[in-house]
Amino acid sequence: MHSSNRSQRPSAGFVFVTALVGAVLVLTGCTAGSSSSSSSGSSMTVFNGATGTVAENFNPFTPTALQPTFGVIYETLFYYNLTSSEAKPAPQIATDYKWNTDGTQMTVTTRAGVKWSDGTPFSAADVAYTINLINKVPALNTNGINATAQATGPDTVVLQFASTSFVQEANILGNQPIVPEHIWKNIADPTTNINKNPIGTGPYTLKSFDPQSYVLAKNTKYWSSGQPKIDTVRYIALSNADAASAALIAGKVDWMSSYFPGLKQLIGSHKNLAYVNTPANTTELQACTNVSLGCTGAQTDVAVRQAIFYAVDRTQLNNLAESGFGSVGSPTLLLPDRDKSWISDPKNVTSPAKADVAKSESILQAAGYTKGSDGIYEKNGQRVSVTVQVISGYSDYISAVSTMTSELKAAGIELKESQVSVNESSANVTNGNYELSIANFGASVSTNPYYMYWQNYDSSGTAPVGQPSKGDGARYVNPVVDAALKAAAATNDPAVQKQQYALIQTEIVRDMPYISLFVTPTLTEFNTTNVTNWPTNENTYAFPASWKNWDNGIVLRQLEPRK
Amino acid sequence: MRFYVQKLMFYVVALWAALTLNFFIPRWLPGNPVDILIAKLSAKGAVTAATRHALELLLGANSQEPLWKQYLEYLGNLAHGDLGVSVTYFPQTVAQTIAQTLPWTVALIGIATVISFIVGVGLGQLAGWKRGSWLDNAIPVTTMLQAVPYFWLALILLYVFGSLLPWFPLNGGYDVYGATPGFNLDFIGSTIYYGTLPALTIVISSIGGWMLGMRNMMVSTLSEDYILTAEAKGLKPRRIMTAYAARNAMLPSLSGFAISLGFVVAGSIVTEAVFSYPGIGSALLEAVQNNDYALMQGIFLFITLSVLGANLLVDLLYAFIDPRTRSRS
Repeated sequence: MHSSNRSQRPSAGFVFVTALVGAVLVLTGCTAGSSSSSSSGSSMTVFNGATGTVAENFNPFTPTALQPTFGVIYETLFYYNLTSSEAKPAPQIATDYKWNTDGTQMTVTTRAGVKWSDGTPFSAADVAYTINLINKVPALNTNGINATAQATGPDTVVLQFASTSFVQEANILGNQPIVPEHIWKNIADPTTNINKNPIGTGPYTLKSFDPQSYVLAKNTKYWSSGQPKIDTVRYIALSNADAASAALIAGKVDWMSSYFPGLKQLIGSHKNLAYVNTPANTTELQACTNVSLGCTGAQTDVAVRQAIFYAVDRTQLNNLAESGFGSVGSPTLLLPDRDKSWISDPKNVTSPAKADVAKSESILQAAGYTKGSDGIYEKNGQRVSVTVQVISGYSDYISAVSTMTSELKAAGIELKESQVSVNESSANVTNGNYELSIANFGASVSTNPYYMYWQNYDSSGTAPVGQPSKGDGARYVNPVVDAALKAAAATNDPAVQKQQYALIQTEIVRDMPYISLFVTPTLTEFNTTNVTNWPTNENTYAFPASWKNWDNGIVLRQLEPRK
Repeated sequence: MRFYVQKLMFYVVALWAALTLNFFIPRWLPGNPVDILIAKLSAKGAVTAATRHALELLLGANSQEPLWKQYLEYLGNLAHGDLGVSVTYFPQTVAQTIAQTLPWTVALIGIATVISFIVGVGLGQLAGWKRGSWLDNAIPVTTMLQAVPYFWLALILLYVFGSLLPWFPLNGGYDVYGATPGFNLDFIGSTIYYGTLPALTIVISSIGGWMLGMRNMMVSTLSEDYILTAEAKGLKPRRIMTAYAARNAMLPSLSGFAISLGFVVAGSIVTEAVFSYPGIGSALLEAVQNNDYALMQGIFLFITLSVLGANLLVDLLYAFIDPRTRSRS
């Protein structure tokens, strides 16, 4: 048989593996030593939610542009702070604006002394050019601005609208990036140009780019003197929340916005980490309400929706689903703290914090429901059993749904869960193929409730079940609400608008096409070792989420390196 | 000759079938790219009907054309090498996205598979040669590691070697803070350092199969007459083990290896998700989540081509390596 002599030399495989391991360790030693960054000047790292590979695109007219394009490189005329109850915007590269009486003309005064990052002076002509460009090329007009503009002086521009357009104010002033005419008039196709060297008025410019991270450098010509103070800002991509939390602890990221259930313990055990909680949206159960448009299910009955509203225990939901970071919302879908002045009826300011099972049951009984043998209410043979769709990655919403299932069972309502992917969920809501869906929305551009109410309650956006809707996914059709929204759009006077919102609120609190659950927390985490002057819970000078367009520029220019 | 032509024709038909499925499958997914983009944007800002219209124009998602016409256009574009424009990474073209991400996947998974094969076959060869030695105990251990779900193993190793004992980095393809991409030692060293842990997890989880297969083939080959003849003729044991026994025992493993090379491009999604590695698997994940038809089709095309190519290579190679198959046709 084969020899039993011990081999004289070690086998080739063994030698190879040893050499490989040795090479890896040597190279590890080399690179670990050289990876300590030697940057002259202060720097910080931001994680804004980018996952996977980063595609180079700094074109502010495309929705897929990299997030710092909106606010850090390019700026808007004014800035709306969504954390404050002050509805008026703060001046940025414009200092004043004025409407004519019927809302067909707006005059904007631009700030003097602003320069583009290549040194060319900024003027009202650039604003006029931007507005006219998006008017000429509809594919660029993602804000739906319907105006033409003319610069009547070096710092005055007049926008002309075809009809009363007060409601376009927030989009024009706070959501439209202004681009330099001298660069963009030479760009052949503004829809597909990736704008490799973006020239903007913002606090930072692009220094270097590669597909896993890009670096911005301080704009030395920025109009706010003495700002920004941090020299370079690096953006990175991480694929999931675990990678993000590990990076935060390791000190590799200075600013990020993610929800971790164990955040309080994490912050407690690391003295250099801080967080701030800025609620912006309300989580609600969106219902397909309209039988005549094709909705089916027990939730089409307003009594069922109201019963659900009273049967939910919001305190328990907040503790179990959001680790206590959320708060009780309002049935008007506005934020009880920030938007108090917009809520007319004091009874509608906050939803009940605890479950009121007795009230929930009496509502159902008054509507003709009787309790079946299994403890679930029914009427005409149809049980009060509704299915709620929830996105399968959202662990906090999945916890919320399972908590609500047991809370509603105590009130005689059966709640069933259906976990779907993001794509499927948005397709179902757009087409009306759902009974209940757990949704999350709030003020987007300005804290004036008009925009949120119009987007979600105005019947002009809705469509029958099976066809895509542009808004109002709940298929809610109420002529009183439509008329009130029209009247609110026709004026610039907050007092008149508030009266109209009062009418709307009476309707929506009674009909509840969106059943308010709780105010969703937005958690932002900071590493305070190298950088200071972050927004705090006491002083939220901007919405601090690292992914928030426009506010990102406000925060970055306020930050200071820690001495 | 006829043998080879027949094989090629078969693969051309298989390619056409794959391209057709490649076109239809993404379109059976629910949702459309504009809806998804709107849903993402509405979380961050106001979305109006005009936004939706602008996006439809921008992304060209107004696919009112009949399906068969789109299919023919798709085949025509493929012939020109035009894979379309990605919606996720708009306005970057699909070809650019793939060119950016494919090298990372091929390098990491390719090298890991090669290492796994060489080490596995080498150890299997030794285990078969010296039956009853301590190496035999390695077989059930490695097989168990292979049976453990890969993502779980990867997560555990990442936690132990990335967080607990920070020997390896937690995520990324290279050190974004220190190294700049290019042909410099810093960058190459950094990529090797960052790729070590993912490669290690792949090697650990797949080595068992190679070892077991090779060990068993060695054992049966060793009982062949020509081994006895070689020993009787006085050849060194080392030479018998490598030049005679292993060379014959390796044949089934070799065809398995060529096929697993074909799956290098496809099999990376979990690895890249766990390690935040910037390869083609993470691009595919993003494409599916965004209903990005063009990017999905482009990546599926590459996967199909690589698998088909590997199969064709194995077929032809086998006929080349093993003269016995050739002589029969």
